[in-house]
Amino acid sequence: MDRPAKAEWRPPRACDNYWEEFKHCVSWGNGFHHYYTYGTVPSCQQWKNDYNDCREWEERRSAEAKEALLKSERDRVAEQGNFTPVWELRKEPPGDWHLPLNQEKPQDS
Amino acid sequence: MDQSKQEKEYGYELFPERNTGPKKDKSFVKSLFTSQFKCEIMLKLAMETSPYAKLLLSAMNSSGCKVIRDRHFACEDCDGSVSGGFDVASSQIVLCQNNIQQQSHMNRVVTHELIHAFDHCRAHVDWFNNLRHLACSEIRAANLSGDCSFSSEVSRFNFGMKQHHQECVRDRALRSILAVRKISAEEAQKIVDEVFDSCSNDHAPFGRIPHGSKDAEFAYRDHESRDRYNANL
Repeated sequence: MDRPAKAEWRPPRACDNYWEEFKHCVSWGNGFHHYYTYGTVPSCQQWKNDYNDCREWEERRSAEAKEALLKSERDRVAEQGNFTPVWELRKEPPGDWHLPLNQEKPQDS
Repeated sequence: MDQSKQEKEYGYELFPERNTGPKKDKSFVKSLFTSQFKCEIMLKLAMETSPYAKLLLSAMNSSGCKVIRDRHFACEDCDGSVSGGFDVASSQIVLCQNNIQQQSHMNRVVTHELIHAFDHCRAHVDWFNNLRHLACSEIRAANLSGDCSFSSEVSRFNFGMKQHHQECVRDRALRSILAVRKISAEEAQKIVDEVFDSCSNDHAPFGRIPHGSKDAEFAYRDHESRDRYNANL
């Protein structure tokens, strides 16, 4: 059977999600919590830009809008990974997670 | 090492019902009025309605550690004022039924302990021998569970504003370590300081520090749509 054609690119999030993030970002409650956590006021413009780019893509398939949106999201991902982990990640989950209780290894083994 | 020494070294004495053998049967009617029953109801509600908990449960599922309520949670009486714990040896989250009275508290404790379970599931966390690992998971749990939200802190009469969240996270991580390890406060503080920057920036699986349920809802939504997100990056 032939491999299905690669799905067309679409924005990483639904456009409405960007708008909702923006509205939430500029809300009083979020401003308060942001200040409480970071000591600064949040910058929310990027969410609005992303929403506009998302709509541009949907309506006009603008290549510029797509690139701008991709860059914005990749920057977000990079920011989330901006730390050196203290531990090593597993390749497999722990073997004893699913074992029934009375088969767990005794504490002092 | 003999069991009683290990108990004292790793904080097991806070959870006296662990390793005491099978529970005695109670009458059904009596059981409806116990703190255990209340604990179990609140736990069920937390798992079904808290976006923090739902996100963690989903993330653990995708990491290969599906959480089964009857297997991975236990409502027990605990010592002192501790609210819960993660027992690595049995892969169980202990909820202190005698110390959790309100649903909002249950939601936070479940979230906090699920963060430890999530860390255990996705990383080689050396809980017993590496204090930096322990500190890291405690920092993350305080940071991401709502333990250090403005309202939680105010309810403890800790009034602070600008960047108070960070002070709270450091302080609670310190207390959590001191509760289960026999080390000095100075040593614990040093370890927390060493790993703080790294661990407070690790927001997995939330992708952000959730300040409240709206943030947590958005984070949950993002997690559920991660396939689309990753495919189009």
